[in-house]
Amino acid sequence: MPALKGSLTYARFFVDGDLPDDFRERFMKSIRLRAMKPLDPDEDALERSGWCRVGEPFETDLGYEDVFYNEFVNLAFRTDRWVVPGPLLRARMREAEAAYLAKKGRERMSKREKTELKELVSKKLRRQLAPAMRAVDLSWSLKDGLVRFFSQAAAPAAAMNELFQKTFSLKLVPEAPYTLAARLGLKKAEESAWQDLEPTLLGGEGA
Amino acid sequence: MQLVDRIEKRRFVGREFLLWVWFESEIFEGTLSTKEHGSFGMWIEQQIVLSSAKSEVTRIRGAHPAGSREAKEALRLGKLPETAGVHLSWREAESAFVLRAERLALSGLKLPAVLAGAEDEAPAALAPPRPPPRAKRGREDRAREDERLRDESHESFYERMHLTRDVESIVEALYRDFLSLRLGPSWGGVVVPALRAWVDPDGEVDADAYRAARSRRR
Repeated sequence: MPALKGSLTYARFFVDGDLPDDFRERFMKSIRLRAMKPLDPDEDALERSGWCRVGEPFETDLGYEDVFYNEFVNLAFRTDRWVVPGPLLRARMREAEAAYLAKKGRERMSKREKTELKELVSKKLRRQLAPAMRAVDLSWSLKDGLVRFFSQAAAPAAAMNELFQKTFSLKLVPEAPYTLAARLGLKKAEESAWQDLEPTLLGGEGA
Repeated sequence: MQLVDRIEKRRFVGREFLLWVWFESEIFEGTLSTKEHGSFGMWIEQQIVLSSAKSEVTRIRGAHPAGSREAKEALRLGKLPETAGVHLSWREAESAFVLRAERLALSGLKLPAVLAGAEDEAPAALAPPRPPPRAKRGREDRAREDERLRDESHESFYERMHLTRDVESIVEALYRDFLSLRLGPSWGGVVVPALRAWVDPDGEVDADAYRAARSRRR
């Protein structure tokens, strides 16, 4: 739980937009609506994301005190995904195909039959496995309009962005040299210099 | 132009910022300053990674990676720093992090341990003995204990965020100072010639003259 313990590796995002007056009640309602719902082996969804308690990925029943730390909103972005090992799936498919053909008294299966059988075998295997789970802490400083997301990987950040926008109806702007310069504020002459900026060459070709 | 294009087109500014921090920390012997924070210690340590679009990546590890000949050689080949380990010493507190230049992101940020035991827990064998479990604890006791643990966890979190904000504010203040140089006449007139002299194995930078010139022209 990087937000609460250990060294910190994170990406910063700035919240674009204003908080509604009744944001505490509204956000709690919306967070609960998008709290993580564990995957069921019999449903079609292979992956799902949702909110859970910071540092406690199995705590999905979220109360006000779990989320609001004074002027911070703390959550963890959890993603569950079914990962059936390829060799296991192939071995079970071979067994299932042989049993199916023997039962039907045939030598070949159609493509559609194979697809349906694969779906059945996958579901059966999923009942014996637990989905792979990843939870990334998130801390939103309401005072600074700043979200610290405790991962620098692009894929979870993109998925978190999507859920954040759905939950809070606010956009996130990633930290970068450009966005930080804009946020710090440039003078008119500096803005014009920024538009024409070219990389500085100290060596190599063109220096 | 879309926001994503604006971000991508100016990622190199982050690398130039890291280069400038490295340069100034070296010529000012590890002491930098900003208007808001006063003087503080800042230097490159543990690791530095330099790269360019056209050549292979140079990774240097060690106590003073930025002081190595290889690091300057990489700059002469047209590479710029991509990431670097940074040590920060401010108000008698020590922090360390890796700055990812193109995203201005911090990773592996080690904060000063202000709250006793907040950063590192003692191994189980060294931990003080726990009180023996009571066979039946009252509901009230449990609730009180849960509340105490939650308060401790919250306090530790606030302290960590406060310290994180301190580190970020120094990086931001340095970035603002860098931008005022980078986007003004001092960059071409003072900073780039000094950078070239610093990179040149036979060159020399007069730190006092550089400081005076950069202040004059800012």
